[in-house]
Amino acid sequence: MERKQHKWIPELQEQLRQGKMSRREFLRYATLLGMSLTAAEALAACAPKATPTSPPATPTATSVPPTPTPAGPQRGGTLRIRGNVGRIDHPARYSWVANSNTTRHVAEYLTLTDENNITRPYLLERWEASDDLKTWTLYLRKGIKWNNGDDFVADDVVFTMKDWLDPDVGSSILGLMSYLQPTNIEKVDDYTVRLHLDSPQIAVPEHLFHYPAQIMNHRTFEGDFIKAPVGTGPFTLEEYSEGERVVLKRRADYWQMGADGQPLPYLDEIIYVDLGGEASAHIAAIQTGEVDVISEPDTEHFLALKDDPNLQVVGTPTAMTRVLRMRVDKEPWTDNRVRMALKLCQDHEKILKLAHFGEGLPGADFHVAPIHPEYCERAVPKYDPERAKALLAEAGYSEGLTVECAVCSDWADVVAYAEILKEDAAPAGFNIVLNTMPTSAYWDIWTECDLGITPWTHRPLGTMVLTLAYICDDEGKPVPWNETRWCDEEFTNLLKEAEGTLDVEERRKIMCKLEEIQYERGSVGIPYWRNVWSIAHKKVQDFKGHPTQYDLFNEVWLKA
Amino acid sequence: MVKFIIRRLGFMLLTMFIVSIAIFAISEIAPGNIARNILGPFATPEQEASFLAQLGLDQPLHIRYITWLVGSDWRAERLIGMPLRRIKKPDTEFYEWWAVEPDGTLVRWKLDGEDLIALRLQPDGTVQESLDNERWQTDEAGISTFWGVDTHNRAVMWEKGGGQTYWMRAKAAGWWVEQPGGAREYIPLQKGLLRGDPGESVKTGRPVGDALLRRLQNSILLAAIAFVIVMPLALVLGLLAGLNEGKALDRILSVGGLATTATPNFATGIFLILIFAVWLKWLPGATVFASERAAFENPKMLILPVMTLTLIELGYVLRITRASMVEVMNASYIRTAFLKGLPYWRIVFKHAIRNALMAPITVIMLHVNWLMGGIVVVEAIFGFPGLGRYLLDAALYKDVFAIEAGAMVMVMLAVGTQLVADIIYTFLNPRIRYA
Repeated sequence: MERKQHKWIPELQEQLRQGKMSRREFLRYATLLGMSLTAAEALAACAPKATPTSPPATPTATSVPPTPTPAGPQRGGTLRIRGNVGRIDHPARYSWVANSNTTRHVAEYLTLTDENNITRPYLLERWEASDDLKTWTLYLRKGIKWNNGDDFVADDVVFTMKDWLDPDVGSSILGLMSYLQPTNIEKVDDYTVRLHLDSPQIAVPEHLFHYPAQIMNHRTFEGDFIKAPVGTGPFTLEEYSEGERVVLKRRADYWQMGADGQPLPYLDEIIYVDLGGEASAHIAAIQTGEVDVISEPDTEHFLALKDDPNLQVVGTPTAMTRVLRMRVDKEPWTDNRVRMALKLCQDHEKILKLAHFGEGLPGADFHVAPIHPEYCERAVPKYDPERAKALLAEAGYSEGLTVECAVCSDWADVVAYAEILKEDAAPAGFNIVLNTMPTSAYWDIWTECDLGITPWTHRPLGTMVLTLAYICDDEGKPVPWNETRWCDEEFTNLLKEAEGTLDVEERRKIMCKLEEIQYERGSVGIPYWRNVWSIAHKKVQDFKGHPTQYDLFNEVWLKA
Repeated sequence: MVKFIIRRLGFMLLTMFIVSIAIFAISEIAPGNIARNILGPFATPEQEASFLAQLGLDQPLHIRYITWLVGSDWRAERLIGMPLRRIKKPDTEFYEWWAVEPDGTLVRWKLDGEDLIALRLQPDGTVQESLDNERWQTDEAGISTFWGVDTHNRAVMWEKGGGQTYWMRAKAAGWWVEQPGGAREYIPLQKGLLRGDPGESVKTGRPVGDALLRRLQNSILLAAIAFVIVMPLALVLGLLAGLNEGKALDRILSVGGLATTATPNFATGIFLILIFAVWLKWLPGATVFASERAAFENPKMLILPVMTLTLIELGYVLRITRASMVEVMNASYIRTAFLKGLPYWRIVFKHAIRNALMAPITVIMLHVNWLMGGIVVVEAIFGFPGLGRYLLDAALYKDVFAIEAGAMVMVMLAVGTQLVADIIYTFLNPRIRYA
């Protein structure tokens, strides 16, 4: 109990106390969050008692129940969503989040990473990892039926996983789960699957919620989901027309129960409509009530709709960011003092405010976001041109320093960031020349330019992005996405240690050191963490955002 | 007349031919890279090269053009030494390519390690797998190769043990895998436009024809409604303005028409949405096709797009009609008719209108084409799933087969409407005869 708790533990405890969650569920979540079982039990005992009303295996317990509304959720209605209806065939081959959103309510995942970045079992009842993190046992939830009446069993999971790892299928999961060989997926019994990994991996549950990881029925699936849309989800697929629309209809015997004791979902129908890429059409459509939700909204949508009294614009913090990256093998960035000087020229709060409308969290010049479970809190560095000037002088640039920064003009916030930096770095003696270019040109040089600003996407664990971008292989060569060529042996070793540590609190301790190192001698400035938005009409109830803009509408309902 | 029409159709084919070459050439030199568009920015040059080879996009321009025009199966048949056949997969819109064995069995292959596996389609629709290593051809250097059809509708050359690595075609947040068992050469199979196969969209991986047809239907609907409203209105108002040259009515119509035409259509569209949809809440602000027949179930949603098109078109046709009418009314034969003492309306209807309509008819017919595929901006503003948006998306993506198919439709429309215009001329002016 002397260890620092995960920040969600008190909330869970409160929910347990209020009877929103069974003791069993509390223990499961608490342990998932890295708390030891005995500690969790002690905490559970602090709450008055487990609610007797919660029947065993009540499926609603898989998610935090919605804030109770006086009338409770109403049933019925059609939710119309502006979406991107692209080509799909094999879900494992999805290459856009939008592909998965349109089928997410038909086929489901083994786990669920919620809007708070916590991964929990979903089609699984629970999982277990061995101490060396190389053997993962997945226990399937029993009693789930496919929408064609088949039972959901271990064969389905094994079948789907083998497809993920089959080169002929060509799934992106093949790369993500390169630690797993198809022959090492073991069916223990009808409801248990064991994975024998080649190397230790803590992120298996997160990977199971990677958007192409929808589970297919081994009896019916033949490579094209549209031809046999059999899933465990709350809706069935009625129509799929590329570039036009997707129609989903409610099924009656879904495995999760709603607040009224009847099976979810509350909605009768979901229709995704593709309105093309022009934001003005989406904006007009939601303002006039032609659609209820804008899926994957962008900055344009946010700016146009943020003040609309009929709409709810939900901001969700993410680990998505714009990285000011300095090539440490190129002058003058070889000198850490110069790198630190430029980092000190960032006024993080101001940049966030001007470049992304204050929608997000300020960064602190290391690539771990406050929403990552293992984040170790550190103060946001202050804007300090005086110290930057001194550092530059120390490094031999007392006359000032002219540098060129590659900036993609298609990303408005990157441009704003670059301009603010240019102004704010001038007092320190930096003369930053902005070299603007279109998106494709930037992606041609993103690993090559000396100084540039690269967008990095959200990943659910802090260790994932650090491994991709800030380490070198055993021969000391930077990994392919190490755009700054920064190699630091201590950092690499600590990161390996962190990756082999399942306990979040233990991992956080290592992360504190990693963050310190990256801040003190790293190669990047992190100005801010971007929010993403979810936009819906006010009548859409229990509407939540998600950092990866996944649509999760099982429990959404419409107020008449 | 018949000769004229045939000649016109001949010209149409020639135009289509030239346009198709031009489009291939333009999309070749246009900036952008379809591999990058599909694979994402993190693809390496090797991945790009592998991707292009798998789609046959590494072939020289003229080969790709010939493939598009007359297909690639005949080329592949020579290499494989067996006839190829395209069959429609039952209950789907997909086609599959198979090689035909002498006894008529359909067969294709896959590579498993060093083993060649034949997949034979059985009459009941199932596929039987068997080892088929006798087909390897070994050359003097001892390298075994085999040309066959793979399961992705491509003729491929495999090399035994060569184990070319290839990159999986899977674009997602940079997860990439290099796989052994790749082929040395690929020829994607298609029949070619002349044999009724406009190809597959690289972007969607589905046949171009189906998607295009749906879009064409939507566009025809919108264009037809706009046409039926705009053209008579513009002609009548233009004639009225022309007859009242210099009077108040003429001034109002001319200036009004100029104003609506001069306002860019994106501005008109947004203004109309703001006024009628957002502010007054009378009409839907976007065309949400929640079902195939949405335009019929909820015709209200077409009002604003049609109104936008009307305002743009009206002034244009109106002013041309007016100018034409003014000119005719000042012609000497009309003056003669007046001097002869013919009644005013008789002069207007019998003598003036016919001649005055020549110019507007040309413009109107040109605009049919524009209404079908050129109203990209209006389609984009209202989210209308029309042909214009389809073409724009295809062009931005460099999805060349989709652009080609769309462009061919547009050329046919352009030439076809001009043909109609030419025929209408002969009715308006009997002196015009086409030999």
